[in-house]
Amino acid sequence: MAIGPLLVFTLNVLSAAVALLTSYYAYKFSRMAENPILSSIAFGFMLLGIGLLIEAATSAVAQTTLVHAFLSKVLTAVEDYTYLSMQMVAYLVFAVGYAALTFRRSATAAVLGVVALVAAPKAASAVGLYSYAVVSYFVVLILLGFVVFQGALIHSRSPSRFSLLVLVAFLLILAAHVVLLISVVNLSEELFLIGTAVQFLGFVSLFAFLLRSGRVGAG
Amino acid sequence: MGQAEKQRSALRINLDILNAIQDMREAKPTHILYKANLSHDRLVRYLDELAAKGLIEVQHEGENRTYRMTPKGVSFLIEMRRAESFVQGFGLAI
Repeated sequence: MAIGPLLVFTLNVLSAAVALLTSYYAYKFSRMAENPILSSIAFGFMLLGIGLLIEAATSAVAQTTLVHAFLSKVLTAVEDYTYLSMQMVAYLVFAVGYAALTFRRSATAAVLGVVALVAAPKAASAVGLYSYAVVSYFVVLILLGFVVFQGALIHSRSPSRFSLLVLVAFLLILAAHVVLLISVVNLSEELFLIGTAVQFLGFVSLFAFLLRSGRVGAG
Repeated sequence: MGQAEKQRSALRINLDILNAIQDMREAKPTHILYKANLSHDRLVRYLDELAAKGLIEVQHEGENRTYRMTPKGVSFLIEMRRAESFVQGFGLAI
């Protein structure tokens, strides 16, 4: 396997593992605390994890990255549409979940998530994969910007090392998506790899959060 | 019942009670009452529920009662503390 797809495959599989682990804990604790916002966090990370696994599998099977697919006209449309859509819906769920936390309207999260899941594939088939990729990275960027803003508000209200690690994770993922959007617009394979690596660092921060919060109970 | 008590969830109150008992190893109701900030009636109800679930055990010494954690209670408390720190990361509270 070429170095690019191999790197994307490895980093996305590791990131997906962290996302799915976070989803598992959020689900487990949502049942314990009976908290609908935790359920939406579990749902969002599950979508993100599955999307990253699909993207990793595409890199391994097609031996190409998303940007390289555009350059070489290799069609991996179904998988890429799915990955981009799942990613977009996942961050929408986080954004609305955080808004619900601030404005106490958790039902909106579920409604918007379902609407986006239905609308995304239709939008994708209407505009084509390249345009869809650009638009979806742009939408994710806006949603992540909102998530980071809300995360910063939460951290400033009640600072803790846990909320800081989650905030850093979302900040790095936001930075990664700025690079990923530029890479897709400029069709730059190198930038796409850098973006994927920065996104992985975001998931490393999330993993550090999981480890530290897991250690607390035993202390 | 105070305003702060009204706003606490049952899970939060259970966590406060278990933390109070764990901190003192063997806790008298008055100590738990003070640490968990509960009225006597509510404390008795919560302690009975926790004992029925096998999370704490009661020891009678004459007219005095003391409470201590069971192994099941210790495991539950560890899981609750993990849940608390996890939800804190996302700006939530138990």
